[in-house]
Amino acid sequence: MKVTFKIWRQDKPQAKGAFKEYQVDELTEDMSFLEALDHLNERLVLRGEKVIAYEYDCREGICGQCGVFINGRAHGPHPNITTCQLHMRSFKDGDTIVVEPWRANAFPIVKDLIVDRSAFDRIIEQGAYISAKTGTAPEANAILIGKAIADRAMDAAACIGCGACVATCKNSSAALFTAAKINHLNSLPQGKPEAHQRVLDMTAQMEREGFGHCSFTGACEVECPAGISIANIAEMNARQGKAQLLG
Amino acid sequence: MTLNAKIPEGRLEDKWRNYQTQSRLINPANKKKLHVIVVGSGLSGAGAAATLAELGYDVQCFCYQDSARRAHSVAAQGGINAAKNYQHDGDSVWRMFYDTLKGGDFRSREANTYRLAELSAPLIDHFTQQGVPFAREYGGVLVNRSFGGVQVQRTFYARGQTGQQLLLAAYSQLYKMVRMKKVSLFTRHEMLDLVLVDGKAKGIIARDLVSGALKRFAADAVVLATGGYSRVFRLSTLAIGCNGSAIWKAHKRGAFFAAPSFTQIHPTALPQSSEAQSKLTLMSESLRNDGRIWVPKQTDDPRAANDIPEEERDYYLERRYPSFGNLAPRDIASRAAKERIDAGFGVGRLKNAVYLDFKHAIERFGINTIQDRYGNLFDMYKKITGIDAYREPMQISPAAHFSMGGLWVDYELMTTIPGLYAVGECNFSDHGANRLGANSLLQASVDGYFILPNTINNYLAAALNKEQVSTDHPAFKQVEVEVKQHIDRILAIQGTKTVDHFHRELGKVMWQECAMSRNRAGLERAIAQIKQIRADFWSDVKVTGHSDELNTELEKALRLADFIELGILMCTDALQREESCGAHFREEFQTPDGEAVRVDDLYAYVSAWEYDQGDFKLHKEVLDFEFVQPSVRSYK
Amino acid sequence: MKVNTLFFRKSIVAATGLFLCLFLIVHLSANCLLLLPEQAARGMYNAYSTWLRENPLIKVVAYALYLSIIVHVVYALLVTIRNRKAKPVSYAVNHTEANSSWASQNMGLIGLSILIFIVIHLANFWARIKLGLGADVGVDAAGNKDVYEVTYALFHNIYFVLFYSLLMIPLGLHLHHGLKSAFKTLGFYHKRGLEVLARISLIYAAVIAAGFGIIPFVVYFK
Repeated sequence: MKVTFKIWRQDKPQAKGAFKEYQVDELTEDMSFLEALDHLNERLVLRGEKVIAYEYDCREGICGQCGVFINGRAHGPHPNITTCQLHMRSFKDGDTIVVEPWRANAFPIVKDLIVDRSAFDRIIEQGAYISAKTGTAPEANAILIGKAIADRAMDAAACIGCGACVATCKNSSAALFTAAKINHLNSLPQGKPEAHQRVLDMTAQMEREGFGHCSFTGACEVECPAGISIANIAEMNARQGKAQLLG
Repeated sequence: MTLNAKIPEGRLEDKWRNYQTQSRLINPANKKKLHVIVVGSGLSGAGAAATLAELGYDVQCFCYQDSARRAHSVAAQGGINAAKNYQHDGDSVWRMFYDTLKGGDFRSREANTYRLAELSAPLIDHFTQQGVPFAREYGGVLVNRSFGGVQVQRTFYARGQTGQQLLLAAYSQLYKMVRMKKVSLFTRHEMLDLVLVDGKAKGIIARDLVSGALKRFAADAVVLATGGYSRVFRLSTLAIGCNGSAIWKAHKRGAFFAAPSFTQIHPTALPQSSEAQSKLTLMSESLRNDGRIWVPKQTDDPRAANDIPEEERDYYLERRYPSFGNLAPRDIASRAAKERIDAGFGVGRLKNAVYLDFKHAIERFGINTIQDRYGNLFDMYKKITGIDAYREPMQISPAAHFSMGGLWVDYELMTTIPGLYAVGECNFSDHGANRLGANSLLQASVDGYFILPNTINNYLAAALNKEQVSTDHPAFKQVEVEVKQHIDRILAIQGTKTVDHFHRELGKVMWQECAMSRNRAGLERAIAQIKQIRADFWSDVKVTGHSDELNTELEKALRLADFIELGILMCTDALQREESCGAHFREEFQTPDGEAVRVDDLYAYVSAWEYDQGDFKLHKEVLDFEFVQPSVRSYK
Repeated sequence: MKVNTLFFRKSIVAATGLFLCLFLIVHLSANCLLLLPEQAARGMYNAYSTWLRENPLIKVVAYALYLSIIVHVVYALLVTIRNRKAKPVSYAVNHTEANSSWASQNMGLIGLSILIFIVIHLANFWARIKLGLGADVGVDAAGNKDVYEVTYALFHNIYFVLFYSLLMIPLGLHLHHGLKSAFKTLGFYHKRGLEVLARISLIYAAVIAAGFGIIPFVVYFK
């Protein structure tokens, strides 16, 4: 199959970028979207051009490193998948596929389709952990956690940190990302002692990084590869309120 | 040079305690004066960096990804083993030790393997406290499931994302120490060489992958936690960025490389569907708990899976290995699949797969239970293949997965270079010739959290109050110049073929001759072919762009250059080991019914290779089995 | 303690919004009097408005109402400004319709149209009746200000009828997203509760928009 890629090229963070069109043939439906870009890059090398920079690592939907805006959707046309899980069978022969980097003030462009998501790491840094040193743990079954609570914690903990929520959000809000981590830890007994401080610190960092407000459009939960429910944000808001009052 | 594994005295049960009792300690006030470099931020790297920082050391941690959370530990699905005996099914540290040793076909050290089992239980305590949402019973206690190669239930899991949850716990703990300014984290930095001063590891040269700048980092000890090298096969279950460069550079600087040919082929990956494929997706081995593996009894059966009646299905694992059945160890399951596929019974479009069927499990437990256990795996399968595995069987195929081999380390996890440590998958320590399922997360974590932080002080105590090497030392300058020349050389070739072209060529040779089954003629041929690929690469590769910018093509080229050399060593190692053991199956050494023939009299050793100006010199660490008698591994 | 603006501003918008939602229920209930036959409607409607004007408690509520509108608008504006800054570059292609409702993506724009409506609405009624601006308002048989007449006259101008009715569409959209969103902003996250909330929001928005939308026509055809 043959498609036209219209891809954002930007050499440096401050450089002025622009779309560039590439006709690519010899693609098959079994190829993943990223393999199609690999294929294009090999052609570019042979033509002596610089390759398109895009990110990926595990290519099985769990590391969270890949992620581009494809034809107007974060991670492409299907809900709840990563870019690496998108296959060319989702496109038709002759399609034009517009590929853009995540757009958000807090995710500056590094090069072409690569953005800097270290703002997420800095939110984590502000308290997405339980402050217990290695070697200080009690016997695992001494902490009983009902299945329902464990399952809910796991639902929230499934976030892969890809940034699709921010990318698709009209306000570039990082609420879903932050909420998922807060709810994972704060719903578990292990996370309780630091619960209030964790909410306050992590959300404060979210604010400092320049993310927008959450308007509950719900776009994030549709594009989230891990299917994190937007109810997590409401839960974070409740925790935030409680922490502001009691913390 | 004789290899001294520094195994402590005493009974197996006492060795680790004895070691700790005798190991040197460092005053907390002094630890902050000591600098440690940790390369890699996966489960072992992040665990080591965070724990070393908690102990007071000044730590610098590196990863090539944009965040420490991407490390490939994240992709481990199935679980982590621990000898907790929560299921009351006769498990114990000893049994777990024995299972691991036997699973590895008696090609690992007793003391290391025992320590792995011994530290497994506290590790579960540790991760539980860190907030890992392990699966629970309704009453709130932890659940276990069984895994390939064992008959007890000792695997802890967090849905199908155990690796992710453990890694995120480690990553968070790492960031806790970043916040406390005890760890400096360098993301998007790739180690390109090791710097030795007076024969001791004193630092690294890393490339800032964004600016392209080469940077020097000095320390009192260097810890490599860079994971596995199965991308040497190109198609593997590993992340695309996984590479062997750091350990290969360390090897070229003097660290011995142990058992490089011991690489595990995982039985339950998705089959390759095209030449352009970049990666084989793993379906967790835990699926084998409830799924039954079969192929049609007739070759090239054109019927759809559901149209093939029960009596015309060959459940070959259950047939050949009645007591373990579908839970036979990975190497056995992979080889059995390859045997069926090669004999013409393969299924799928390219006839390169076997069926993994949940029909009976769904009938028995109901669809809800299966959904609860494997829901996300079934979802993932559907995303990739478009097939609903609740209705028809999955198609699976073997794929290169784990490297048991790696840098040779002693009981302290130190390589043959003083001050250079290797933890996690990049070392050769506990798994022997084959790794049991759910032991990988375990080893990475135990190495990083529990072992290294207790052994590194034994070395660093001597470094205290000695003059510390700075990056101005001539050794740093010299290595940096060498790295720069290496990069410039690649960029200057401007040939006619892409990096991926050469990687595909290498992968084909490695998969053909050095994967599930190997033979002398094939390995010799492979070595010649890889040498040719190396020559072609260095004369005809084309890399566009420059070295002083973000250049993903250059990154790939640098990694491939090392893979090519590593491939030669892997074949060399497979060639010298004239026996079949674990994942290493030499066709010349098998019983008439196709089972492996191990030759303990001649090969009960760990091969440890010394780099010698392009050649490799074999050293042997003889394995003394003091406490168990190596038995013939039978899963029948 | 430092207040997190991301939460504070949205909470203010949500709280004032909910108060306004409550007000709309009262407002619509009273306006339903306009659906009655003219004789009954005029007397009751005018009596009710007089009671409203003279009740001290209602005076307090009225000031809360003005304040809510202003605060709702000002904070929505602050929220929008930050949101724009957070996403300085928009996508060349963006299919928001695939993952979210149009209303949720355009609350600012919809809010602006409602604000314009409110200004005109206040000019039509509040300015004349309470501030005494424009043409004099008469007195009915019971001696109450004849607010009914003001309404009756206004809604016999087809342009006002259309304006008042059509502008209830953005109001409905705004309320539908706003009501459920406000609850979530204020921390309501009960799983089944959220499903119920979504249904309530839909019904509420539909009733308010249809109710207000239908009245001008009913009056027009009287």
